[in-house]
Amino acid sequence: MSGKVQTSAATLAGERGAGNRTGEREGRSFWGAIAASQLYQTFSNALLSSPRRQFVILLAFPVLWVLTQHLGPMLQMFYVSFVDAYPVSRGYEQQFTFDNYARFFGSAIFVMPFFRTLAFAATLTLATLVLTYPVAYFLARHVKRSNQMVFLLLLLIPFWVGEIVRTYAIMILLGNNGAVNLALKWLGLIDRPIPFMYTGFSLSVGIIYLSALYMLLPLYSALEKLPRSYTEAAADLGAGPWTRFWKVTLPLSLEGISSGATLVFLISTGYYATPVLLGGPSTTVFAETIAGFFHTAGDEWPTGAAFACLMFVTALAISLAFGRLMTRLQKGVRK
Amino acid sequence: MTRHTRLVMSMIYWAFVLYIFVPLILMITMGFKDSKFIGFPIRSWTLDWYVEVFKDSEVLSAFGYSMLIGVSSTLISLVVGIWIAVLLNGRGFIGKGLIYGLTLLPALIPGIISAISFRIYAQLWGIPPGTGAIIWCHAVHNVPFVMLIVAARLSTLPKSHLDAAQDLGADPIIAFLRVTLPYLRPALIGGGIFCMLISFDDFVRSFFLGGYQPTLPVLIFAKLRSGMSPEINAIATVVLVLTGLLGIWAERTTRRMKQGKLQS
Repeated sequence: MSGKVQTSAATLAGERGAGNRTGEREGRSFWGAIAASQLYQTFSNALLSSPRRQFVILLAFPVLWVLTQHLGPMLQMFYVSFVDAYPVSRGYEQQFTFDNYARFFGSAIFVMPFFRTLAFAATLTLATLVLTYPVAYFLARHVKRSNQMVFLLLLLIPFWVGEIVRTYAIMILLGNNGAVNLALKWLGLIDRPIPFMYTGFSLSVGIIYLSALYMLLPLYSALEKLPRSYTEAAADLGAGPWTRFWKVTLPLSLEGISSGATLVFLISTGYYATPVLLGGPSTTVFAETIAGFFHTAGDEWPTGAAFACLMFVTALAISLAFGRLMTRLQKGVRK
Repeated sequence: MTRHTRLVMSMIYWAFVLYIFVPLILMITMGFKDSKFIGFPIRSWTLDWYVEVFKDSEVLSAFGYSMLIGVSSTLISLVVGIWIAVLLNGRGFIGKGLIYGLTLLPALIPGIISAISFRIYAQLWGIPPGTGAIIWCHAVHNVPFVMLIVAARLSTLPKSHLDAAQDLGADPIIAFLRVTLPYLRPALIGGGIFCMLISFDDFVRSFFLGGYQPTLPVLIFAKLRSGMSPEINAIATVVLVLTGLLGIWAERTTRRMKQGKLQS
């Protein structure tokens, strides 16, 4: 490390021609030439004349970027949800209206998918938590530290494969001629295939398959941080395995549960291709409803925008409420 | 912990591994089936579907198109992500928390909402659906990930490095280029590959912002809607192998970086 500092010190010194010979040769060639050039001098003098100016330049671009690129699309969508036409055809006067929102509450074909999506997302979040908690616990507490990365990587590989490919894999697993049906038939449990596909079941299997990682990773890092001495102390004081879990491990991993659940909940409300491919008419989710307004030739973007706003605001409100609840629980634990 | 619970836990872990891998293994196997009809049992095997894929110009051009979008959007995300990370790693200022929160926003917006909000926003700026719009949306979506990975690395950069550079007469720009940037290298490799993969795999944004030329996931989706075929399995397998390997590499780089095993 210190050797590194010295070499870089030598080359940096060379830049300004401080007389170090090795630096002179290396530095002058490229960086030194740039730093000494008239053009760069003018440029850097203009930009870096005072610490204040340096900071303003450092600050300006990120502020501009997050406002226009991160917040801008959401604000524009919010605005469009209150107008009667968008994109506006020439010569048409845009009107302010609440109709787009009124349309939602007026019809069961819109309200149903909305609540179905929320209920679905909440149920699947819980299911994912129950499924991945033991896995994360095993990884963090029972696998040797030096092996943990290999065990974790094993689970991470498939998650780098996209939504479509993994959805397709589930289609092959659950199809009428799929592996599950074949296995059941071979075992003599069924005569004709069970129609798993295009139901709430196939959609649930698919979505859990897609989002398990977002739960697993926060849980793993929360459990990994938890010192083993805590449970050992509890054991010394006579607590059995269940008591140790309920009174020590679970309360102290609330932070991981909180962030994992929030992520999975928000992400699973936004899947579009998976419900289209794995779901059926009885499982239409709100993402499909929203998307419908952007496919049709008619100008229905404002309605789509209003529906998207409703979805996002509701999902965010639920997540925030859940987050607050978890923080309160955590505070209770610390007392 | 008793032996008994340990055994149960390890069984749950391996069951989970099966749940993750079995569907993918079945999908790969099906790509070698010598029949147009998807489903078990498989009676004879063939490599024809792979030959088919490499002859299919539609698939090849979609692949190239996805690569182009992945690389371009990643370059933008890296520049912006590094810039924001450097700002947030520096001295405190009013609204720092707000900038941090807003930077993370695109990662929290559900996919469909992100896609259509950008569709509307692109209309506002007069950007037609197509290559530019997709690259733009992917770039914005990936900025939070770059920022987080770079910030994690940046927080371990000893301040003495930068002080030494300043003492030796380097101005902040030179110090950034010659000290900070080389130090960030593992974060940039890891973060860059993550961005590439997220962009390459993305369906919903490419679908709503795309023009006539489909990206690979959009093409697979279109093929799936018109019926399953082992050719799709072959395409998916190629994608799976490529993304899986790149993912492992990136994950290893960033994890080792966090554990402090990688020195600059």
